[in-house]
Amino acid sequence: MLIFTLRRISLFFFTMLLLTILSFSLSFLFPGEQLINLTGQINATPEHLAALAHQYQQQASIVSQYFSYLSHLFQGDMGYSMASQLPITTEIFHRLPATIELTSVALLIAMFFGIPIGFFAAIYHRKVPDNLILAIAMIGYSIPVFWLGMLAILIFSIQLGWLPSAGQISLLFEIEYVTGLQLIDILLSDSEYKWQAFQDATRHLILPVIVVALAPATIFMRLARTAMLEVLDTHYITAAQAKGLTFAQIIYRHAMRNAVIKVIRDVGLQFANLVTIAMITEMIFSWPGIGSWLIESIYQRDYTAIQGGLIVLSTFIFIVHIIIDFVYAALNPLAREPNHGT
Amino acid sequence: MNLIDIRNLSIELKTATKPILAVDHVNLKMREGEVRGLVGESGSGKSLLAQAIIGVLDEKWQVHVDRFHWRGQDLMRLSPEERKAVITKDVAMIFQEPMACLDPTATIGEQLEEAVDVAQLSGFFWQKRQQRKLAAMNLLHKVGIKKHQACVKSFPHQLTDALCQRVMIAMALARRPILLIADEPTAAMESTNQGQIFRLLASLNQLKNMSILLISHDLENVTHWTNTITVMYSGQFVEAGTTEQIFNQPYHPYTRALVDSSPKASSMIPNKSRLMTLPGSIPILQHLPIGCRLGPRCPRAQQKCVHAPKIKSYHDHQVSCHFPLKDSYS
Repeated sequence: MLIFTLRRISLFFFTMLLLTILSFSLSFLFPGEQLINLTGQINATPEHLAALAHQYQQQASIVSQYFSYLSHLFQGDMGYSMASQLPITTEIFHRLPATIELTSVALLIAMFFGIPIGFFAAIYHRKVPDNLILAIAMIGYSIPVFWLGMLAILIFSIQLGWLPSAGQISLLFEIEYVTGLQLIDILLSDSEYKWQAFQDATRHLILPVIVVALAPATIFMRLARTAMLEVLDTHYITAAQAKGLTFAQIIYRHAMRNAVIKVIRDVGLQFANLVTIAMITEMIFSWPGIGSWLIESIYQRDYTAIQGGLIVLSTFIFIVHIIIDFVYAALNPLAREPNHGT
Repeated sequence: MNLIDIRNLSIELKTATKPILAVDHVNLKMREGEVRGLVGESGSGKSLLAQAIIGVLDEKWQVHVDRFHWRGQDLMRLSPEERKAVITKDVAMIFQEPMACLDPTATIGEQLEEAVDVAQLSGFFWQKRQQRKLAAMNLLHKVGIKKHQACVKSFPHQLTDALCQRVMIAMALARRPILLIADEPTAAMESTNQGQIFRLLASLNQLKNMSILLISHDLENVTHWTNTITVMYSGQFVEAGTTEQIFNQPYHPYTRALVDSSPKASSMIPNKSRLMTLPGSIPILQHLPIGCRLGPRCPRAQQKCVHAPKIKSYHDHQVSCHFPLKDSYS
C-alpha cells in the first residue's frame, strides 16, 4: 500500500511539473508581451513593470524564470485578471467550489443511477430490458449537452415552471461564505431560513446536475453492463453456482463487487469528460463556477485567467483521479500489492 | 443401490445454423462409495457432462436426458428448481484452475463461511456467525490446512494453487456431499501437490464414504485412485468397467490405444521406435463424423461403423463398439 501511495504521489508530481511547464510556456505562446501575459498587469507603469521583471527574473535564463514562476504559484500568486484586474487566486477561490459542488454531485448521481442500471441490463442480457436500456443509453449519449440544457430550461423552467433556470440560489437568501460549497455553507449558517435556503439551493442544483450527469451516466451504464457480463462469465461465478448459492446471492456477494471494481477504474477517466460537459452547462445555467468563468476569459482574451484556470481545473481533475485510484485500491486487493513478474 | 444413473444424456450447443451435438447419448452409473474415473482427451465432453450433472451450464447449451436417477429418485419428474435443490444439497464440484474459481476480491474465510449449510447451524443469528467461523476452521483442518488463521484472512492470489484447491475441496465438503465431482483437480500442478490432492480425495472417500467422480485426461494416473472408469471420446460413450478391466483388458480399440500410448517401465520398447498412437486427431465440433466418432481413426473400423453402435455389456464391462476386442483376449 505504501508503494502504491508513493507511485501515485510521484505521478502527481510529474504531472504537475508538465502542467506548470505547459502553463508557463503559454505565456510565451499567447500574443503580446510575455511578462504582461504572466502577471496580467496591463495598466502598469514602466517602473512597476521593471520591478515585476526583476521579480520574475526576466534577465536570467529561462529555467530560473520558470522557477520564479513556480515560486509565485506556490505563494498563491497567479497574477491579475486582465479583464477585471482582480487577483486570479481570489477569483478562482470564489468560483471553484461551485464547480466542485456541481461536478461531484453530478458524478455521484451518474454513478448512482448508471451503474445499477448497467448491472440490471447485464442480468437480463439479450432480453427486452437489456435492449431497451442499451437504446436509451445510446440516445442519452448522443444528445448534445448545449441542446439538452436549453431544452431542459425550456420545458422545466419556462413551460412547466417547476425549477429555476439560472444561478445557484435565489438572491433572497444571504449565505455567509465559509467553504464556498453552497449546500454545506447553508447547513453551517445560523439563519432562520436555513431550510428554505437549502431547498432553494437544491432546486437550483437539480436541472444542471441532470444535464451534466446524463452523458456520463449512459457511459457508466455501458461500462457496468460489459463489466457485469465479463464477471458473470468467469469461473468463480460457475464455482459459486456449483456451491449452491442462489442467483441473488451470487450477484450481491460476488458479481457486484468485482464488476464495480472494473467500473471504478474508468470513472476517473470519465471525470475529465464530465468537467468539460459541466463547463458548457455552467454557461447555459449561469452557474457561478470556474467553467463559465474560464469560457468568458477565453472570449475576453484574458490570457492570465486562462493560464490560472487551466492549472487549477486540471489539478482538480487530477486530484479526483487519484482519489478514485485509492477507492479502486481499497476495493481491489490485487491492486494494493506490488505485482511480481507480470 | 445406484447413487446416480444417467441414460442417454445429450448436450447440444445452440448455434445460428444448426445445433451441434457436443455430448452424444452418454450413460453414467455410479454406486455409493465408488471412485469413478471419467477419462477422455480434452474436448471429449467430460467437463460438459459434469457441469450438466451439477446444472451450471449456461443458456447456450441444451441438455436432454432419458433417465436421471439420484439415489433411486427420478429427478426428471421434478421441476428445475427442485432438481437443483436436490443436486446442490448432495453433490459438490471442484474445478481445474482453483485460483480462478475463487472470488479474487473476497477473503478465503468469507467464501468458506458462505458455503456452510444453514441447516447445520443452530441457535440465534448472533450465535450463527461464530458457528460459521468455527465450521470454516474445521473444514480447513479437514483438508489438512493447519494455519487456518492466516488462511482465513488471505485472498486467493496470496495462496498457492494446491492450497487453493484444498480450499475448494473444503468448500465442497461444507455441505457434506455424497458425491464429489472433481474436474481435473490437479491440472497444471506439480506432481508432489498432485499426490497430496489425490491422497486427500482418497482419504475422504474411505473415511466419509464419499463417492468421487474423478475427471481426467490422464488414464494412467487415474488408475491409481479409482475403482471404476468410464472412457469418453469426442462426446460419445466408449467403455466402462472396473479399473482392472479397463487397464488390463480393454475391449474398445480407443481404450486399447489409450493404454498403449502411455509407455511403461516394464515394457520393452526398442530405441528410437515410435510410440503407439492413433492416426489423426480428435475431430472438431463443426466436423463430427457420423456413427461412431472414432471411425476415421479406428484401426478396426468397417462399413458398419457409420452407424452408432449399441452398448454391449459383459459382466458390468460395457463397451460401445461393433467390433470389440473381447475375442483377442483368451
